[in-house]
Amino acid sequence: MIDTARPTRPTPRHSGDGAVRGTLPPAESLEVAARRRRRAGRRRNAVTDLLGILAWVSAAGAVMLWLVSPGSHTVVGIGGWLTDAGIVAGLVATDLVLVMLVLAARVPLIDRTFGQDNAIAVHRSLGKPVLYLLLAHGALLTLGYGASAGTGPIAETIALFSTPDMPLAYLGLGLFVAVVVSSLVAVRRRLPYEAWHVIHLLSYAAVLVALPHMLSVGSVLAQGTWQRVYWIALYVLALSLIALYRFALPLVVTLRHRIRVVGVEPIAPGVVSIHLAGRDLDRLGTEGGQYGVWRFWTARTWWHAHPVSFSAVPGRDRARITVRDLGAGSARLGRITPGAFVSLEGPYGLFTSRARTAPYLALVASGIGITPVRSLLEDTDLRPGEATVLLRGTDADQQYLWHETADLAEVTGSRLYTMVGHRSRSRESWMTEEDVRRGVSLRSVFPNLLQADLYVCGPRAWSDLVVREARLAGVPEHQIHQERFES
Amino acid sequence: MRARVIAGGVVSSIAVLVVGWQLGGQPAVTAPAQQSTTSGSGTTGTSTGTSGSTGTGTGTTGGTTGSTGTGTTGGSSATGTFTGDTTQTRYGPVQVQITVAKGTITDVTALQLTNSDGRSVQISQQAAPILRQEALQAQSAQIQSVSGATFTSEGYTTSLQSAIDKAGL
Repeated sequence: MIDTARPTRPTPRHSGDGAVRGTLPPAESLEVAARRRRRAGRRRNAVTDLLGILAWVSAAGAVMLWLVSPGSHTVVGIGGWLTDAGIVAGLVATDLVLVMLVLAARVPLIDRTFGQDNAIAVHRSLGKPVLYLLLAHGALLTLGYGASAGTGPIAETIALFSTPDMPLAYLGLGLFVAVVVSSLVAVRRRLPYEAWHVIHLLSYAAVLVALPHMLSVGSVLAQGTWQRVYWIALYVLALSLIALYRFALPLVVTLRHRIRVVGVEPIAPGVVSIHLAGRDLDRLGTEGGQYGVWRFWTARTWWHAHPVSFSAVPGRDRARITVRDLGAGSARLGRITPGAFVSLEGPYGLFTSRARTAPYLALVASGIGITPVRSLLEDTDLRPGEATVLLRGTDADQQYLWHETADLAEVTGSRLYTMVGHRSRSRESWMTEEDVRRGVSLRSVFPNLLQADLYVCGPRAWSDLVVREARLAGVPEHQIHQERFES
Repeated sequence: MRARVIAGGVVSSIAVLVVGWQLGGQPAVTAPAQQSTTSGSGTTGTSTGTSGSTGTGTGTTGGTTGSTGTGTTGGSSATGTFTGDTTQTRYGPVQVQITVAKGTITDVTALQLTNSDGRSVQISQQAAPILRQEALQAQSAQIQSVSGATFTSEGYTTSLQSAIDKAGL
């Protein structure tokens, strides 16, 4: 139930200086802050939109390469049409593969304006369409060449195999199929994360081995043309963003900050806080609510990277993350010994006050989802009454970090509610049975919900339900911030 | 916001495609190389690359040597080798040489075949023996083009015709 007795409501404490504050009513300064946030939000959206449009244009640019090639305006015969459709499919597919690489490259601009989790969501949604385009590319060209030469598809495939660079192209196609199939939800659930990850890394190889046949077999990217230069430039751009932000930058961060484990503190059954020490950790630029991808260099854990939120804003030489053993890998984290060397990719994420657009703040966390909510609350400049926090747990064991969060709420003058108990069984709800019966809703917990930024973090199915209710209540999409813990 | 991306993306993509359409549009079948006076400089600058540049280079020499160099005898029953003009196609230059004995074509050698890319090389290698056979049978450039090798065939017959003209057959 929602424990309304517990709120660390600051009203009595702050009522004394109410007169002073009276000269500048909180609501108005909230409005000013909200206007500033909305402006920043519009700028972010503008950048995001531009990047999105750029992706569209790059796909159109791929078609343009074919359009400017000689003969594209005078396609003849069924063979010609099949062949040219195949060429266009291949060009667009390759362009989209490069877009996917950039989306997964952890480019800071994309993370800061669009959010890395959103970028990965788009990356994912492109996977299957791109594979279909690639398969169509192969099929259409085989049929098209076959129709022109009067040979069947099998004879044509054999002929293509004997063309220079084509065996590599078939290898690339096979790798792409493996990468996409291993990422299908049904397959991925059954694969250990590491197996999936290794297969996914093959996509770099697939992209590379596919390049020679584009340059040598087709005539669209013939030698000495600007088309060839453009195409290679796209490749260089995408691959160097990957090299820079996925490999070089994390290495630099890791070497510069020299993070080590100094203590592992069990704070609840199956939940540990890992205390870290390092150099100049404040210069990581971590914002409250962000996460890092951590790797602990011990014999048993080095091969597993963990995306984990900071559960406190790092100080100069201290940082803390809190982990629940969700998977095989994270269960071992409780046994990490102090002194272990830690490498870090990040910090990433837009679950921060940077993403705010509204005057009020509503934070909802369940279980381990409290970690980013806690550090967000710590890192946000709040006026009394601006923020309201709702913490949910199934039982007493799930109340880790609640005391810290309550303290932060008190310091910042925020209301805090808690809701403890199993989720309702009578109907699909994010609340407990009792609260459902009492008629509790997001609107009743957060009176300013429609003028609030809603941050939700917790198990996926649960947080989806919270977000659904917020949408139904009429909260604008740009005020809803949901953390997704997926790589 | 998403609608804006889609709308903006569609509009700017269409703009790119229109520009592409305008930039493109070179005829697929390039005009056969002109007579040796224009030195077979090919047609558009688009057929590119090493193939394009070598094509133009050999075209110039090929044009001149074809007209003067090789033919040993003029007259009604020519004997010797005669090199045809270089013909540019979108897949590279094509040039053939004929061997003539007493007014009869005894051999056709392809000096250059479409080679702009791996696929073209493969096609021209398949087509060349067929075209040669047809030319020897027909004793003229009026031969059927090989299906799947339209450009190679067209370049082949054009170059062949110019070689026959030079031999005065």
